Amino acid sequence: MTALLLARRNLARNRVRFLASVGGVALALSLTLALDAIYAGVANQLTTYIDRAGADVWVSQAGVRNLHMVASWLPDAVTERVRTVDGVVEATPILYSTDTIAAGEERAVAYVIGLPAGASMGGPRDIVEGSGRVGPGEVIVDRGFARRAGVAIGASVTVLGRPARVVGLSEGTASLLNSVAFVPFDDFRAMRGGAPVVSFVLVRVAGNASPDGVATAIARAVPGVSALTRAGFSGEERQLVMDMSADVISIMNVVGSAVALAVVALTVYVGTLARRHEYGVLKALGARNRVLYLVVLAQAFMSVAIGFVVGLGFTSLLAVVVRWAGLPLELSIGAASLARVGLVAGTIAGLAAILPIRQVSGLDAAIVFRRGAAA
Amino acid sequence: MLLARRNLLRDRTRFALSAAGVAVSVALILLLAGYRAGVYGQSTAYLANTPGTVVVAERGIRDFLGTSSKLPPGTEDVVRRTSGVDRVIPIVSQFVIFERHGRKDGFFLVGYDPARGGGPWRLVEGREPGADDELVIDRTTARQHGIAIGDRVQLLDREAAIVGFSDETTFWAGSIAFARITTLEALLRAPGLRSFLLVSPAPDVAAEALRDRLAGGAPVEVLLTSEVIANDRRLLARVFDVPIGLMVAIAFVVGVLVVGLVIYTATIERRREYGTIKAIGARNRTLYRVVAVQALIAAATGAIVGIGLAVGAGAALTALRPQFLVALEPAVILGVLASSLVMAIVAALIPARMIARLEPAEVFRG
Repeated sequence: MTALLLARRNLARNRVRFLASVGGVALALSLTLALDAIYAGVANQLTTYIDRAGADVWVSQAGVRNLHMVASWLPDAVTERVRTVDGVVEATPILYSTDTIAAGEERAVAYVIGLPAGASMGGPRDIVEGSGRVGPGEVIVDRGFARRAGVAIGASVTVLGRPARVVGLSEGTASLLNSVAFVPFDDFRAMRGGAPVVSFVLVRVAGNASPDGVATAIARAVPGVSALTRAGFSGEERQLVMDMSADVISIMNVVGSAVALAVVALTVYVGTLARRHEYGVLKALGARNRVLYLVVLAQAFMSVAIGFVVGLGFTSLLAVVVRWAGLPLELSIGAASLARVGLVAGTIAGLAAILPIRQVSGLDAAIVFRRGAAA
Repeated sequence: MLLARRNLLRDRTRFALSAAGVAVSVALILLLAGYRAGVYGQSTAYLANTPGTVVVAERGIRDFLGTSSKLPPGTEDVVRRTSGVDRVIPIVSQFVIFERHGRKDGFFLVGYDPARGGGPWRLVEGREPGADDELVIDRTTARQHGIAIGDRVQLLDREAAIVGFSDETTFWAGSIAFARITTLEALLRAPGLRSFLLVSPAPDVAAEALRDRLAGGAPVEVLLTSEVIANDRRLLARVFDVPIGLMVAIAFVVGVLVVGLVIYTATIERRREYGTIKAIGARNRTLYRVVAVQALIAAATGAIVGIGLAVGAGAALTALRPQFLVALEPAVILGVLASSLVMAIVAALIPARMIARLEPAEVFRG
């Protein structure tokens, strides 16, 4: 208890040093927290269309277990074969391609979805302006893209290499990496040369059937396809982002930890140095080295703990600012990320205390009797 | 200068820690900048290494990496017959996800005709694909997944045999793999599909002139290869620049904090000495200089160590994970050195203010 009190007083005595220490740790830990949050946010955004398309099961070309950037082409007949599988209530074929949507000088990479007339799955979920149904020569674009391009309902944009008239603006499906546009199924097919193919078959299962069971039955009954439940397909998409970013995150974690370690080690060392006269007094009064070590260790842990909380606050604030600024970025702070960074922070505190502890252990109690030893 | 050096070096551990703090910050800034440059360089490697100074794409598509282009049927014949065209390389490109050992990797699959070009520019082992179930993949990717020449891998709904390894074909989202153009047509169920045409002008024709000639009235997008490369970079910048910029800013602030903390503490410790110097007539300006020089020494030492650290860490990273190219450019290194000076100046502000307020009489107090 005494050690804690001493550590707290030691830390609080010099506010500039305290602020620098906590600020440094907070920033360094924010590096890793923010990066984790950015990638988790991208993973969340990427699955928005999958999560909101309304399908219980996604059927794709065999080997295709993702949506982002990939191509999936199945023979037209697959839709009918899927419809015959037990437990399937509805099967909607969609066409899909990652394309560029352009208006004037504004261009965006977009998931372009070809929707059959009257489709109850795969369409835009939130229409904020105009119509939610597309007719020949028409397109529904994301509101973010429309805003950036300065296009409104009735304007013309280029999609799949041809002009199309905007009839609706949707929201909630775009991500940092892509926008989403919806065109009629027949238009899409014609633009792609009219080949009798579909990209995905979206399946709604009967109320008493399990999506897992139906997915397995489809994969067994229809050759040349992959069938995944919505959760499974979504999970594969998240895995893609995490697999592709795992190395970058590891590197940044190491660097962020090294920066935090340098800052904490420096501040605790400097703090101990400045108070060495007081440590000498404590030693002269009979305090054991163990108590002094505890004081130093407590200082390091307090700096890191407060820095961690401030860093978390900073990252949360950043998430709010990013949302407020309308940036196509989402920061998602997960419990696993917090636990990992917290563990790293604890290790940093322990390591940072090593130098000052050595310093205190080598301290001569007689220092208190010398003049000018204290700072 | 002498005073500053002595003040700073009085406690060597503290000085070493401050230099280490700055070094880590500087190294982080350099690594991030180098990583960004490497990402850009790797991502544009295909176009940079494949013949053709003009690119023909689907109308509306002005980049190479981000989208799936599909040219209207017959475009290739029209382009080939256009006067001023020397060579046309047709390719089909498609991003696919390759999965092995439970890990997902991106393959930017390029379908090409070996007789006309557009394949791997550095084939380091094996041969080019000669049949529709053959594939050339990147050497690093092969090593990571334990794939040898002759192995068969799953490519969407069919199998393909690995017949060659290429080099310089990794990038941030995966690697480039090469197959025959007919393989891609079958895989994508689109006979006759062409994504891009890479066009070389005749010797006496300028690329710009050929671009304008090809663009006249055709329902396609025609751009210089350099323009497409620039667009790809812009596309990547949208994804990378915000997080990287954020991290560089944090690293800079940490650097300022570290230098500031050391100089501040060193100044507090020597408060009485500064008071003495003031009492014997030294002006504030002289004392500011002492503080600023200390900050500069700490920042410069840290920056130099940081550059060495970045070079070493960058080389180690590229050796261990060849898909991450860290390209340290001299201009960036100079920029970081300059920013370390700014770090020093900002860090010296608070200690300088403290000295300005210091009463010379303090030296006479107990």
